[in-house]
Amino acid sequence: MKRVLLCSLCLGVLVLSGCAKKSVEVETPSTPTTTQEAATPVNEGEGIQTIGQTQEQMSEEAKLQKMKMIEAEAKKIYFDFDKYNIRPDQVPNVDYDAKLFNLPDAKEFKIKVEGNCDEWGSDEYNYALGLKRAKSVKEALTIRGVDAGRMSIISYGESNPVCTEHTKECWAKNRRVEFELIP
Amino acid sequence: MRKLLLLLISSFWLFATDLTLEIVKEVNALPSVVIEDATVDVETLINRKLFNLLVGDLEVSAHFQVDHTRNLANFSDPVNYMKYKGKDFLIRYRLFYDDFNKLNLEGAIYNLKSGTKILVKRYRISDNDRFAFLAHHLIFDFNQVLGFNDVSFLKSFVIFSKYTAPKQADIVISDYTLTYQKTVVHGGLNLFPKWADKEHKRFYYTQIKDKPVLYLVDIYKGTRRKIIESEGMLVCSDVSDNGTKLLLTMAPNMQPDIYIFDLITGELQRVTFYPGIDVNGHFVENERKIIFVSDRLGYPTIFAKRIGSRAVQRVVYHGRNNSACSTFGDYVVYSSRETNNAFGPNTFNLYLVSTTSDYIRRLTANGVNIFPRFASDGETILYIKEYGRQSGLGLIRLKYNKSYLYPLSVGKIQSIDW
Repeated sequence: MKRVLLCSLCLGVLVLSGCAKKSVEVETPSTPTTTQEAATPVNEGEGIQTIGQTQEQMSEEAKLQKMKMIEAEAKKIYFDFDKYNIRPDQVPNVDYDAKLFNLPDAKEFKIKVEGNCDEWGSDEYNYALGLKRAKSVKEALTIRGVDAGRMSIISYGESNPVCTEHTKECWAKNRRVEFELIP
Repeated sequence: MRKLLLLLISSFWLFATDLTLEIVKEVNALPSVVIEDATVDVETLINRKLFNLLVGDLEVSAHFQVDHTRNLANFSDPVNYMKYKGKDFLIRYRLFYDDFNKLNLEGAIYNLKSGTKILVKRYRISDNDRFAFLAHHLIFDFNQVLGFNDVSFLKSFVIFSKYTAPKQADIVISDYTLTYQKTVVHGGLNLFPKWADKEHKRFYYTQIKDKPVLYLVDIYKGTRRKIIESEGMLVCSDVSDNGTKLLLTMAPNMQPDIYIFDLITGELQRVTFYPGIDVNGHFVENERKIIFVSDRLGYPTIFAKRIGSRAVQRVVYHGRNNSACSTFGDYVVYSSRETNNAFGPNTFNLYLVSTTSDYIRRLTANGVNIFPRFASDGETILYIKEYGRQSGLGLIRLKYNKSYLYPLSVGKIQSIDW
């Protein structure tokens, strides 16, 4: 055992002495190498979402804007006192609306045809009058190629005035059919 | 010749004077009433209003000649008979809050001729806002004690829809003077309220969203039930006596016609088939017939039709626009436009006709008189009168040939029922 230990020691001394001679010949690098530390992860802000519209939302808003533009573009149809037939001077407006609602941009929307009245007339009769006005316009639009299935009608009677003064000009403005588009 | 002429003129004058005398005599025939206020510790404003309500109720009952003086007294004091010499009745009242802070009205009514107390009663109300009903109940009981005709309309609720903004209308319940008002349906377009029963516990109304929907509301349970919906328009115009059938104006095919809806079977029966406008159906003649408004002649006027038959009968032969009516038994009250000015002020008068005779009576003389509605007694008609830019709530007591007007400060009324 002692002999083994002695031999190992001598061998070790021989090896170490050999290595020391070699290390002298090795060139020292110009810049000392330093140990690379692991990068510290920065987690703050992880998971923060950008507040903005998704593609879907943006297209919804664009659709809504388009709808409002078409609604604003549509011409109102005016009626005579106590009447629900379309006046000759209103026919160009109906033609215009029919073309507008048949445009490719407008075809994706449904149309609510709303009948309105002035303040004269009784409670029920006025609502029926508004309904007949809406029906007249719907039928006129159907004849001009607007799909009847896209249109619904409703009467708001005298509940939706655009003018509240007690003048003949004001009453004339309130006897009308207007349109609301529905997605 | 001159003497003869003078004699002739004098005799005309004599007849004219006689006529005046006769009217005065008739007015004097009504028993006279004085009121004593014995209120001590209630706000002056409520008390003043209550006094005015008592005077108003007595006037509208049409059974009394009312002294408008507000006399003061202590409730327990003996009656000063000398002060009220020549008067028939004394109403002494006092308002007070009880231990639960509820408003009470104590009333004592004396027959001044016989020196007897004919009514002593205390009324208590849980919601102080409803103080108007204290006065209405006292005067109702006074009429009952004297055996006069029923004046239960004093205690009735009125229901109306009023516009609050474009496409917005609320439904409000009030007393007949509109002193008490409570909004019961708010938000959206709520129209055409119609009492569902004689007790005025439930009502129908139409709500317009995408489609008109008819609802039934129980005001005491606070519940709401959907009855039916329709395209275009939907109105409950009348309810049968037993409350099981409704007369509706509907437009399921975009065409306003009158239908009967059976609430028990759910069956819907179309009654009118005209391609123009048929609205405002009301039952008459034991619900065998209906009265309705139609534009069959090119303008709205009143027609009658036996339920199930094809024939239509014209009821009114005058006026250029008779677009609103109400019925009681065989009687129809309607509003008729007397002038034909499409762009200026028009006169709308109320008329009363019978479906079984040639009877016709004009009820108003000027202004715009609309929304006539019979009270449950059939003797009183409620209506809205517009004059200039103001409007008022009118009452006509048919039997007594009297009418009364209350100023309205509720905005534009859409529809009313009583």
